[in-house]
Amino acid sequence: MTREDVYAKLEPIFRELFDQYDGPITDELTANDVEQWDSLGHVQLVVALEQECGVRCAPQEVTGLPDLGALVDLFAAKTQA
Amino acid sequence: MNRLEQHSTLSRLYALQLEVFPEHEDFLSPRIANSSDEHLVELEHLAQVIARIGEGKLETIARDYAWLTNEMLEEEYYFRRHGTYRLSTFEEAERTVYANAEFMQKYMNGVLFSHLWWGNHSRVIIHFHREFLSRIKQGAHHLEVGPGHGLLLYLAANSPRTGSVTGWDVSATSLRDTRHALEAMGVQKPVTLEAHNIVDAPSGKFDSLTFSEVLEHLEQPRDALKTLRSLLNDGGKIFVHAPVNSPAPDHIYLFREPEEIVEMVRDAGFAIDETVNFPGMDASLERARKLKLTISTIVVGTAI
Repeated sequence: MTREDVYAKLEPIFRELFDQYDGPITDELTANDVEQWDSLGHVQLVVALEQECGVRCAPQEVTGLPDLGALVDLFAAKTQA
Repeated sequence: MNRLEQHSTLSRLYALQLEVFPEHEDFLSPRIANSSDEHLVELEHLAQVIARIGEGKLETIARDYAWLTNEMLEEEYYFRRHGTYRLSTFEEAERTVYANAEFMQKYMNGVLFSHLWWGNHSRVIIHFHREFLSRIKQGAHHLEVGPGHGLLLYLAANSPRTGSVTGWDVSATSLRDTRHALEAMGVQKPVTLEAHNIVDAPSGKFDSLTFSEVLEHLEQPRDALKTLRSLLNDGGKIFVHAPVNSPAPDHIYLFREPEEIVEMVRDAGFAIDETVNFPGMDASLERARKLKLTISTIVVGTAI
């Protein structure tokens, strides 16, 4: 998948999970910008995206990512592997 | 002075928690900021009780809470991927959790602080204290099955409405923690603590009963509720608290909707007085149902 493909999968998931956030969804977005995006919400986001993209991530791969762009990069790379 | 600083014990525990678990600020800061003034007063009272129970080991408890949140995340991954809890039998939970004294101690410590930091947990305690205990019969002989860290049993023992208080637990670690909590709080009322498994509980008759966060640990929760009914006098009150969609290291029975708990209590021989749902993460009930988020469900019933 390209980054654009991953974003197309991610956006509806992100909007549903973090429904109090109505700003733009960009590479620079971090958990600090989205109140509902805490550690539990991050798990829910990752697993929902895994299911949409048909790949699986190890917890250490998705912990400590600096921003949303890094998550998108990870899924784009995994779906091309 | 900010709103938190007006509550000295809550403020102290908050600072301690972030000292040992700084990355949790993203969660705790909005938790406090979004709490009403009234809820902060309630949390301060809860913090004072927890601080006394944990006196001398508060830093350990704060660290164990941090450990517990990571354990919960692992369980959350499993739950989201498979749609079930990781364990399904009591034997598995016994082997991996209950028989592991070190794990159990950390778990109990972590759960104790969760009653402060997780809104659904603290609201259950507050509801039990304010609503349930004020409605039981004066002089009630009260039983708690599974008192764990002892917080609810302490509140029952401290209530002017209870005449006697008894706690039963299968876990020696739990009973030790319960005894410690009651001693730390200087409870005057005599409290009987005994090791019993609900499966082979002795006979007895009580007027009120607490069964909090136990159902989800059982393979046959329906049978346990029927046993509890037999322990209550007609007209006796039961306080059942169990979580929906709540993966944890020793949860084996998955309730997917609050109504499953309500029906189970009703089928065991209780008229339902009230059902109260406190979704986790301060979500609305509708949102919690839709996204399968944790809901702490309270069912209060009258033995009929």
